[in-house]
Amino acid sequence: MSVDPFAPAREIAAAVREGRTTAVAVTRLFLDRIEAIDPVLNAYTEVTAARAMAAAHAIDARKAKGEPLGPLAGVPFAVKNLLDLEGVVTRAGSKINRENAPATRDAVLVERLIAADAVPLGALNMGEYAYDFTGENVHDGACRNPHDPDHMTGGSSSGCGAATGGGLAPISLGSDTNGSIRVPSSLCGIFGLKPTYGRLPRTRSFPFCDSLDHLGPFARNVGDLALAYDLLQGHDAGDHACADRPVEPVSDKLPLGAAGLRVAVLGGHFDTAGMAAAARAVDRVARALGARRTIELPGAAEGRAAAFLITNTESAAFHLNRLRARPMDFDPETRDRFLAGALLPAAWSVKAHQVRRWYAEKAAAVFREFDLLIAPSTPMCAPEIGQKTMELHGKTVPLRPMFGLFTQPISAIGLPVCAVPVPVAGEGGLPIGVQLIAAPWREDRVLRAAAWLEAEGLAHAPLPPG
Amino acid sequence: MPADFDADLVIDANAALLGLEIGPEQRPGVVQFLKLAAQMAALVEAAPIGDTLELDGAFHPVAP
Repeated sequence: MSVDPFAPAREIAAAVREGRTTAVAVTRLFLDRIEAIDPVLNAYTEVTAARAMAAAHAIDARKAKGEPLGPLAGVPFAVKNLLDLEGVVTRAGSKINRENAPATRDAVLVERLIAADAVPLGALNMGEYAYDFTGENVHDGACRNPHDPDHMTGGSSSGCGAATGGGLAPISLGSDTNGSIRVPSSLCGIFGLKPTYGRLPRTRSFPFCDSLDHLGPFARNVGDLALAYDLLQGHDAGDHACADRPVEPVSDKLPLGAAGLRVAVLGGHFDTAGMAAAARAVDRVARALGARRTIELPGAAEGRAAAFLITNTESAAFHLNRLRARPMDFDPETRDRFLAGALLPAAWSVKAHQVRRWYAEKAAAVFREFDLLIAPSTPMCAPEIGQKTMELHGKTVPLRPMFGLFTQPISAIGLPVCAVPVPVAGEGGLPIGVQLIAAPWREDRVLRAAAWLEAEGLAHAPLPPG
Repeated sequence: MPADFDADLVIDANAALLGLEIGPEQRPGVVQFLKLAAQMAALVEAAPIGDTLELDGAFHPVAP
């Protein structure tokens, strides 16, 4: 059978398991697509074609012997190049890290997908050291939006947005410190899951900000996202922040939909006045989920400011030696931010950690009344590549640090979020998305609600043109 | 942001302390981000957290 590159990963895996296609045919299809399309999208920084084909042949050989295959049999995936891939240099979007030796072992999350018989296609482009919301990178070139290559993918998991949005990898893995899964999901029109802080192990990934870094999957539909998430779960002692919790599968809960969930829309800091596409997306989702109230998330602005300072100071301290020795080898767009972060008073950082705790307590009180909160993912659809400023509440502000206005307060306190594309709300052929947010450890609720919106036809990953 | 916040003063005082070289090419960008950070710090300072020192994380001793 011919393989549809936009088919759900679960259908591709079923076709491989049932012998209707082979892992080699699927892998070859995606490698051919990368060769044809990636010169425009610039999603990949390294394609591991030999490894992918070897893995695919091994899967087909096991099938020929009658051995059982995993839930992602023959499904290609790709990873943001801050997760280690054996034999690949983990650049983290930088020039400096290119001088490091290739990774000797896959990141834990990569190992878990491979254990399910997924096929690693390669490493994905990203903003330098993950300090980015745009998808631009002076060393590797900008990632380009699959719906219009003149526009941004968003970042810093830019390659994930381009690859999964453009049909170059059904599943991808990225990271989110302040919005780097949710922003590309919104701008590229795909689903992304930022789990609870501490849920998925970051072992053998390159850090940005230890206090706030999350890893998570991207997919083109909720079933694939939930399946990937289920396979990725489980404690690993290699990440000191990883919670020692049992695996809590969600795939079997998706049919519950949004039934019984108490839903509210976030206002206040999340107000979308003057942001037509974001407002439409929130409104459509709120109606579909029966949200009747708009509430404030108390402390959101202060919590967002705390995340800003924690990120700025912690990441700058991490890169201090590189900033001293090789400042001119940084991307200028990140270098100046890191330099500023290094100079900030320690008291601001300590106070930010106090405020983060205070804000988390206030948010917990909200979740005693509501199970699910709706907020925009981004203030607008994808800006044009090269755009430096944007209009926000009547003011012109710098785009790069401000594009996470709506995502940063949520990751600040580690809440689980499913970023859901609502293409009908987009503009000019560009999609936009919303955040579905729940209390810590309730990924089941955000994915159930996302599945409901998908079943209703409101949330889906649009096909790119051509 | 405090009205008297002087980003250039912060650069001049702290860059040398940390062994960082911030040339004329970088200074405008660093000033911009310092001012933004100062705005964020003002929001954080204004949060009514009370006279406590409860941080967002707790240290866990590592057993052998």
